[in-house]
Amino acid sequence: MTHSIEATNLEFSYGDHKAVDGVSLQVEPGEILGFLGPNGAGKSTTIKILTGQLRPDSGEITILGMDMASDREEIQARMGVCFEEKNHYTNMSARENLAFFGRLFDIEDLDIDGLLETVDLTDRADDRVSEYSKGMRQRLLMARAISNRPDVLFLDEPTDGLDPVSAQAVRRVIEREAARGAAVLLTTHDMMEADQLSDRVSFINEGHVLVNDTPENLKLAHGKRNVKVRTRDGGGVTEKVIPLDEAGAGEQLRDLLTDDLMTIHTEEATLEDIFIQMAGRGLE
Amino acid sequence: MSNRSGVVKAIIAKDFRLFTRDRFFLWVSIVGLVFYVALFWLLPDTVDETLKIGVTGFGSEANLGEISESDQGLELVPYEDEDALRAAVEEGDEVIVGLALPTDISDAVITVYIGSGVPESVSGAVEGIATELAYAAAGVPSPVSGTTGSEVIVLGEDRAGNQVSLQDSFKPLLAFFVLMIESMALATLVAAEVQAKTVKAISVTPATISDFLTAKTVFGTLLAFSQAVILMIAIRSLGAGPVILLTAVLLGSVLVTGFGLLAGSIGKDYVGVIFWSMAFLIPMMIPALAFLFPGSTAGWVQAMPSYGLARVMVDVSNYGAGWAEVAPYLGLLALWTLASLFAGWRVLDRKVQTL
Repeated sequence: MTHSIEATNLEFSYGDHKAVDGVSLQVEPGEILGFLGPNGAGKSTTIKILTGQLRPDSGEITILGMDMASDREEIQARMGVCFEEKNHYTNMSARENLAFFGRLFDIEDLDIDGLLETVDLTDRADDRVSEYSKGMRQRLLMARAISNRPDVLFLDEPTDGLDPVSAQAVRRVIEREAARGAAVLLTTHDMMEADQLSDRVSFINEGHVLVNDTPENLKLAHGKRNVKVRTRDGGGVTEKVIPLDEAGAGEQLRDLLTDDLMTIHTEEATLEDIFIQMAGRGLE
Repeated sequence: MSNRSGVVKAIIAKDFRLFTRDRFFLWVSIVGLVFYVALFWLLPDTVDETLKIGVTGFGSEANLGEISESDQGLELVPYEDEDALRAAVEEGDEVIVGLALPTDISDAVITVYIGSGVPESVSGAVEGIATELAYAAAGVPSPVSGTTGSEVIVLGEDRAGNQVSLQDSFKPLLAFFVLMIESMALATLVAAEVQAKTVKAISVTPATISDFLTAKTVFGTLLAFSQAVILMIAIRSLGAGPVILLTAVLLGSVLVTGFGLLAGSIGKDYVGVIFWSMAFLIPMMIPALAFLFPGSTAGWVQAMPSYGLARVMVDVSNYGAGWAEVAPYLGLLALWTLASLFAGWRVLDRKVQTL
């Protein structure tokens, strides 16, 4: 099976600083890969390499079965990119921005109204982007990224700093694109978002990929199978942690199911906990 | 696979749209063009090579007329008395020098009145003329006869009798003003593209950086060239050697486009772009300024990138020079144009790579 995105042993240095050191990853059609790491870990450099903005010092990139080194234009014609910075022509309207990029992609019948409706910008289609809020600019960025119905989609912090409504709108678009069959590589600082959207996640730190697996598998492998139970105890509250893998855990739980039971929580590890365990540092 | 010319056209169309929405440069371009044309037509279009000298004290006006006609480039203006002559020289409108000659030339002093703004070289010459006039008016032959003979050697090109009016001298400078403004407009567009990182968005489409650079070069050249041509038509500067002039202006437009790309790449903000544009372009006005004044231009001025443009414009529009005469200057201009374009492309390309 041909991977939509396949990178093998990518290396890249800025002078003496090795920003990307042997990164390998694959993304399948319709799959969302969360690419997680702290600032300076090498995420943005990897995305620049994968989108053809930078040439790697070594390594191979195959996208949609084509070699980035020799078929860059063909690949870019079938690729969508959502940048972290809101790089629009602010003296042009949303409609004019989309029309311009449509011409670069040589799309004659670009459905601009449909795209604007997808990101809920129909009412402001003809206003200059300079008058848009941050959330509106981000949604326009998404509309631009999907304007050519890409087979691979690179999204760099697509919901960073957005209000909950705009963030939810962007997430819906990402899920819709993946459902359509696009391979999505998503970088985000929001671990909840990564958990919610990603089929698999890759942790990157200091230019290395630390792990590449589904969120569920990572949680099982690295999380604690504990249950935290809080009960009333006279005038106070008692908290008890029960390891589920211990013998007699079921009986302990049953004994606590009385009228004094207040709350029961699982102690599942978050992606951030797992990243800290593996990298020895946080994501911020 | 992609349509290269279609991509370049799309970027040019977008740049034109953005240019028309930049009120500052649109306003400066239009008002500047009107101003330069108006300035041109307000400048004197003739060259007065006659030196007017006020005189008083001659015996008869008939004598005066005879002397004046015999001296090419000299016009004697009679005044009733010495007070009137003195007042006229002080005013300086009609004459700037005056000679008060006594009725009997043999026994009196000639008074020479010189206006305060007259250069020393002219005042010295006028004193010599006064002596000659005195001999002529008295009917006494000059001690130095014309038979002695003299040889005049003009160093450089002899423009005697073919002097250029101030209006015509201004042509290269006005054209350069227009090119400079449009180069700054391009620099601002490039800087905005770099600062907003919209060029990154272009670079991940089928458009290449070469397409981007080509589009910027074509747009900058068209912008500068079209305005320069409008100016030249408005000041009726395309009458002589239009093809040579258009070639020179086209090369000049590409030259300033290269500098515009450089300034747009280096400038970190609007003020920075204006600063670097000025830093590159103001020195290039020097050759055009040099042609406002008579005499040969200094060697270092001739080595400047814009010298070829100014020189071709002066030689063709003012002296009717042909291809053969201006070929060396066009060649020099073409070399500088290639150099500026190469530098502009290289710096902008590197800038884009680092975004």
